[in-house]
Amino acid sequence: MSNYIPTIGVEVHVELKTKTKIFSPSTNGYGEMANSLTNEIDLGYPGTLPRLNEEVINLGIKAATILNCKIRKVMHFDRKNYFYPDISKNYQITQNRTPIGYDGYVEIEIDGEKKKVEIEEIHIEEDTCKSAHRGEKTLLDFNRAGVPLIEIVTKPCMTSSKEAKLYLEKLRELLTYGDISDCKIEEGSMRAEPNVSLRKNESDPFGTKVEIKNIGSISNVVAGIEKEIERQTKLYDKGEKIVPQTRRYDDKIGDTVLMRVKETGNDYRYFPEPDIPFVVLTDEQIEEVQKTIPMLPDERRKKYLELGVSETNTKKLIQNRNLSDFFNTIIDEKTNHQIASNLLLGDISAYLNKNEKTIDETTLNKERILELIKLMEGNKLSSKNLKEILDSILETNSKIEEIIKEKGIQNITDDNKIIEIVKKIINENEESVTDYKNGHDRAIKYLMGQVMKETKGTINPKIAMEILKEELDK
Amino acid sequence: MDKLSREEILHVADLARIELTEEEIEKYRVHIKKLLDDIEKIKDVKGYDDEQLIAPWSENCILREDRVGNMLEPKEVIEHAPRHSGNYIQVPVVIGESEGA
Amino acid sequence: MKYLNLSIKEINKLLKDKKIKPIDLVNEAIENIEKHKEYNAYITLNKEEAIKKAKELEDKEVDNLFFGIPIAIKDNIITKNLRTTCASHMLDNFIPPYNATVIEKIKEKNMIIIGKTNMDEFAMGSSSRTSYFGPPKNPWNKNKISGGTSGGSATTIASRDLPIALGSDTGGSIRQPSAYTGIVGLKPTYGRVSRYGLVAYASSFDQIGPMTRNVYENALLLETIVGHDEKDLTSSKRETEDFTRLIGKDIKNMKIAIPKFFVSDIVDKEIIEKINQTIEILKKNGAIVDYVDMKYIENTVTLYQIIAMGEASSNLARYDGIRYGFSYENPKDINDLYLKTRKEGFGEEVKQRIMVGSYILSGENAKIYYNKALSIRDDIKKEFSRIFENYDWIIGPTTTTTAYNLDDPMDDPSKAFMDDVLVIPANLAGLPGINIPIGFDKSNMPIGMHIIGNSFEEAKIYQLASLIEKELKLDLNPWKGEENE
Repeated sequence: MSNYIPTIGVEVHVELKTKTKIFSPSTNGYGEMANSLTNEIDLGYPGTLPRLNEEVINLGIKAATILNCKIRKVMHFDRKNYFYPDISKNYQITQNRTPIGYDGYVEIEIDGEKKKVEIEEIHIEEDTCKSAHRGEKTLLDFNRAGVPLIEIVTKPCMTSSKEAKLYLEKLRELLTYGDISDCKIEEGSMRAEPNVSLRKNESDPFGTKVEIKNIGSISNVVAGIEKEIERQTKLYDKGEKIVPQTRRYDDKIGDTVLMRVKETGNDYRYFPEPDIPFVVLTDEQIEEVQKTIPMLPDERRKKYLELGVSETNTKKLIQNRNLSDFFNTIIDEKTNHQIASNLLLGDISAYLNKNEKTIDETTLNKERILELIKLMEGNKLSSKNLKEILDSILETNSKIEEIIKEKGIQNITDDNKIIEIVKKIINENEESVTDYKNGHDRAIKYLMGQVMKETKGTINPKIAMEILKEELDK
Repeated sequence: MDKLSREEILHVADLARIELTEEEIEKYRVHIKKLLDDIEKIKDVKGYDDEQLIAPWSENCILREDRVGNMLEPKEVIEHAPRHSGNYIQVPVVIGESEGA
Repeated sequence: MKYLNLSIKEINKLLKDKKIKPIDLVNEAIENIEKHKEYNAYITLNKEEAIKKAKELEDKEVDNLFFGIPIAIKDNIITKNLRTTCASHMLDNFIPPYNATVIEKIKEKNMIIIGKTNMDEFAMGSSSRTSYFGPPKNPWNKNKISGGTSGGSATTIASRDLPIALGSDTGGSIRQPSAYTGIVGLKPTYGRVSRYGLVAYASSFDQIGPMTRNVYENALLLETIVGHDEKDLTSSKRETEDFTRLIGKDIKNMKIAIPKFFVSDIVDKEIIEKINQTIEILKKNGAIVDYVDMKYIENTVTLYQIIAMGEASSNLARYDGIRYGFSYENPKDINDLYLKTRKEGFGEEVKQRIMVGSYILSGENAKIYYNKALSIRDDIKKEFSRIFENYDWIIGPTTTTTAYNLDDPMDDPSKAFMDDVLVIPANLAGLPGINIPIGFDKSNMPIGMHIIGNSFEEAKIYQLASLIEKELKLDLNPWKGEENE
């Protein structure tokens, strides 16, 4: 097989996180009884008119901002006309001429190098209804009809499935963090459609483009692109032409399958939507919305590392939006942020998972976690003891110091007491002491283990180690 | 008389998803030709500026607050549909995939 | 006693004084309609509900001028639980689960809906002869058309069945039938009245408007249906106003423009004569009348054809037999369902316009025809604005002929558009316009004058229309002595 240069673009549809639909006050919801979230507008009944949802425009502004796009200040909508049972009016209201965002980019890091994936445009449109094929008939559920979507279109600027994957992961992270969409691919709230073409040399014009639809996961996007590159390479090698077409990725056979060959472009008969006057955005409006954009992952990452949080913890925190938001409440505080991240990702996460709770459902707040860190840092509370009182910390509002008292937990902080125990252990383990003196490092670890065992972990290991060393070196 | 070809009529009928009888095809070959001649006159109009009037809107769009309002009962939705099954609206088997979103 | 021949103010007084009850009005209206049944003004009568409503109102306080007044509604305005067909087989079984905004307003005022009036199918036509339910007939001569598309509303008002009706006007559909039947019909400024629940034909033109026996009551009815509606993004923020406020004010030194095209040889001589006589009256009252040139005015029908049919092809795509309405019974597959439902559900005129509209928007044609038409439409609007910088009104005849025969051939598809050549320009620019009767031709068919006002200047239109009405004092009752019981 010869080598060709792939050119890849991706179109992504994401459902927006709004309370109601784009053009009607019906609930924007998932998993409800069929046709229970609709009204006459969603069903395209005669005489009904679209009522554009303010939040959709706001989320469009947010998305455009986050994806570094220019924002259009005056826009209108267009009708895309086609007959299909999933679109109730037999036209879709979309933005053809005046997309809300254009000329943006998403930065990805590929093999240690930064690359900008260019965004051609972001436009707002309505989702279709859900159809299920059952033998001789198709069943329609219009709950999804009119759910707001944004479509994000990249330029054909990627050259590998890996880039596409990194782009999609980054996009998902950004849109989730921006509270724009849930981006749940399995629920269909994020849908990616890559297009692939091949050419021999960088200087050649782009090859014939093939679109791949109906992909249910990012890993299938990767597989779909790779299979398509393989398929096209074989065809070119045989001297055959690529026919412009739409394929779909079939998970079961692990390959792309032909859906339809494109005729001379679809005749969508676009024209400007007369039912929706110009949407005009002012600078103030745009700024208001931009103020609501939370701190994005890249900025969090930078900040956390600066605060001394380990790389591993930083990555894990950012993967968990709730914990990261909680962590953000203490980023301006003077405290030990590494301990804070350990607490959140360790015992607290374990508690949350076990109890199926989110962090906002506990009594932990900024003040209490700062107190907790202080106690641990000052050796007033060992991690072992923390486990015993964690439930009380997360479920009551009592001061942690009081919880400690109540539970009768007392750390051995008296040095003399520790010296006494250390001496006892040294006396009981003469062999190890000899080993230590002969330079075997492992011996001190064993002795330390014995000390901790003796005290049932109620002493500060750092102090205990210092005392142990002092006593051994005497 | 000036007529459109059969193919031209069948093409616009297909765009509009309307089946025509033989009699209708013949009639529309004449009638639609007449209307197409009418709209052809726009080609002679000159001197206008490029600005477009989509509709004589008097004001810009007033956006709707994102608050849940009235919905129809699933029963009402179903009862209006010529074919239904359970809570679903039913159509004869769908061939091919959606063109849209 | 015929109460419905009284003015609304007089009826209101009788109701207030408890001399009559709303049921008396409903019974009288129904009796009138049944007597004039052959005129085919109605598609659906709301008899039982109207009687029920009238009885309910007996215990209520008469709190406004329209309380208990019977009203007729064009059948393309959505009425909850009352069949709304658009005069089409496609919707002949459609009982809507919601109300148009104007219907909500009418109900708030406790008007009583007597029935849904006949019209051209989906408001496409000019003589109401495209109705699935057969055409309404002109009360002045039952062999003549009532015009269209609001032919049923025009017929019932002209017949004196009841005092008020609503119509809709996309390219003259209120004003033209009003001219043919000798009544007062106004198309408000685009955005003045909510279009929510008006079944769309061409969205950027459609407006609902009042059709009445006289100017004053027209202004009163308009007042009850206007106002901002959050359900229609194209509805104006302007709230309601007293549209009668300028009625009776003199027109001294006010300026009237007559575009030369409006009185060119496309108009019948008899009509021009009547227009000239009326102009003399206006001059006598101190108005200054000028003949003016207007750019693009002779292109307006072409622009209207392109834009309206383009929009219509999209607006009517939703009738597919899936969610509501007529559906072909045994389709082979989904495409067969579309093809046969639309074949059998739509009439000839509707199919023709949808097909031409699809062609207009198809591929490169969108640029050649549609986008160009939008550009020229903008210039038309500017041209009107230019005229209104110097003039208070633009006038002309409403129609080029009086009502023609019901059995005149329908073999020229352009005719349905050309019948509205004088009223279409106002729709293109979104301007308000009214028909005011100014006399009769030799065969005693009504002739109307068209007054166009500047945007949102309906009150000023009523000022001029009312003056003409007062000066002419026409007897506009088609039954005259015939029906004096």
